[in-house]
Amino acid sequence: METLVPKTSTALATLLRADFQTLKTNRRSAILSLLVPVIILISWKGVIAKLGGAYALSSAITFGLIAIGLMGYSISIARDRDKGIFQRLRVAPIPTWTIMVSRICVQLFLIILLTIAVFLIGNFYDKVTLTPLAYVITFFIAFLGGAVYLGLGQLIVGTIKNPETVNATTRIVYFLFIMVGMFGEMGMLGDIVKKYIRYSPYGAVKIMLIGGMEPNHWTSNATTAVLVSIAYAIVFAGIGIKMFKWNTK
Amino acid sequence: MREDYLLEVNNLRVSYGIVKAVQDISFNVLPGEIFGLLGPNGAGKTSTLSSVEGLLKFDSGSITIDGFNVIKEPFKARASMGVQLQSTSFQPELNVGQILYLFAGIYGVPLNTEKLKNILADINLEDSAHKKFGQLSGGQQQRVSLVIATIHNPRLVLLDEPTTGLDPQSRRQLWDRMEVIKQRGHSILLTTHSMEEAEAICDRIAIVDHGSIIEINTPQALIEKYRHDPEVIAVSRRNKITLEDVFIALTGRAIRA
Repeated sequence: METLVPKTSTALATLLRADFQTLKTNRRSAILSLLVPVIILISWKGVIAKLGGAYALSSAITFGLIAIGLMGYSISIARDRDKGIFQRLRVAPIPTWTIMVSRICVQLFLIILLTIAVFLIGNFYDKVTLTPLAYVITFFIAFLGGAVYLGLGQLIVGTIKNPETVNATTRIVYFLFIMVGMFGEMGMLGDIVKKYIRYSPYGAVKIMLIGGMEPNHWTSNATTAVLVSIAYAIVFAGIGIKMFKWNTK
Repeated sequence: MREDYLLEVNNLRVSYGIVKAVQDISFNVLPGEIFGLLGPNGAGKTSTLSSVEGLLKFDSGSITIDGFNVIKEPFKARASMGVQLQSTSFQPELNVGQILYLFAGIYGVPLNTEKLKNILADINLEDSAHKKFGQLSGGQQQRVSLVIATIHNPRLVLLDEPTTGLDPQSRRQLWDRMEVIKQRGHSILLTTHSMEEAEAICDRIAIVDHGSIIEINTPQALIEKYRHDPEVIAVSRRNKITLEDVFIALTGRAIRA
C-alpha cells in the first residue's frame, strides 16, 4: 500500500476552510473587534473638522488592529493550544507552519474587513474621502500595522502559557494602548509621554497610517514610523515564535 | 531493521532537563498486532507515545514506522499512522461533518457528502453531521475520534487511553472496532490503565516503569510466568492470579503522582 502524503497546498486549503468556518460560527467576537473602530468614527464626527479626517480614520484602524492582534489572535491561539487542538493537528503529515499561516490568514481577512468598514463609514457617515492612491497605500500600511499587533499577540502567547493569563494580559495591554496612547499623544499625560508615544507600537502605526492617508504630505516621521513598525513586527514575532510552545504541559 | 515490523523503537531515550523520562526503551509491533503499553502514572508511556507521534524530540534512539524513520521522513511516517490522543479536542465551533472534512483534507483523503454519510452511518452517527463534537456523549466522541484516526486507512493506529471514562457498552464497542482494524492487517499501539482491557484485546504488552521496559510478552504468558511468584500471590485476591496482580507486583503498590 502506498503511503500518501498530502500536498502542502491541499492541507493549507483545508485548514483555511476550517478556520474560516470557525470564524463564521464565532463571528460575534469578530464583530466586537470591529465595534470600537465603528464607535470611534461615529462618535468623533463632531471633532473631525478639528482633528482631521486622517486622524479619525487612523485612530479607528489602529484600535481595530490592536483588537484583532491581541483579542482575536492571541486569545484564540491560547485557547486552542490549551485544548490540545494544535497537538491533534501536529500529528498529521503537514508542515506545522501551515497551521499558523492559516490562522494568520483569517486575521488578515479581518484586517481587510476592518479597513473597508472604516473607509466606508468614514466616507458615508463622516464624509472623509481619500485619494485612490491613499486608499491603496493605507491598505498596505494597515497590513504592516496588523503585523505589529499580531507580532505582539504572538509575543504574549509565546511567553505566557496559561490561557486565562493570556486573556487578562491582552485586555490590560489593549486598555493601556487605548488610554496611554490616546491621552498620551494629546499631551494629557505630560510632554515626555507625548514625545515617546510616537515611537510606541501605538504611535508608530498611527503615524504611518496618517502618512498613508495623505501621501502628498508624507513626512520623515512617517518613514521613521514605517521602519520602527517593521522592527517591532520582526522583534515581537521573532521572540514570540522562538518561545512558542505547542502545548501547555 | 526487520522489514516485517510495522513499528520499531530502538534504544529510545527522552529527558526533561535532568529528569530522565524514558531510558533505553526498545520494542516492536508486528502487522495485525495489538500492542499494549502499560505502566503507572509517570512511567514513561506518554513520552514514548509522543516520541512515536512526532510530538516530542527524543534525546537518542530511533523510531521507524512502516519503514519510515520519524526524524528523516517525518511526513511519510506520520502519514503511515493514525492517532487518537488522550484528550482529543477539536475546534468547538466546528460540527462533526466539518471536523471530518478537515482531517480528511489534511491526510489527503477525498471526501464527499455520500462518503461522509457512509462513515457516520458506520459508527451509528448518521444524524450527527451537524452536531458539535462537544454535544456528543463520551462514547460517541470516542467513535468519532477513532474514525478520524483511521480516516486515511493507516497501517499503524496509536491510541492513548482510548476507553478511559467510557461505560462498559461503549468500551466493548470500541474493542470490537479495534478488532476490525486488526483483522484488516493493521496494527494498534495503545496505552491503557485497564488491565482487563489489556488482557482482553492485546496480543502482547510491555510493562513500563521508571522509563524502562520491565517485561514484554503476551498477557497470558506473563500471568503464567509470575503465577508462583510470592509477591504476585501476596497481592492477588480471591486466589485468582490476574494481569493486574502481576502488574502490581512488578511495579509496586505505591501510588504514583
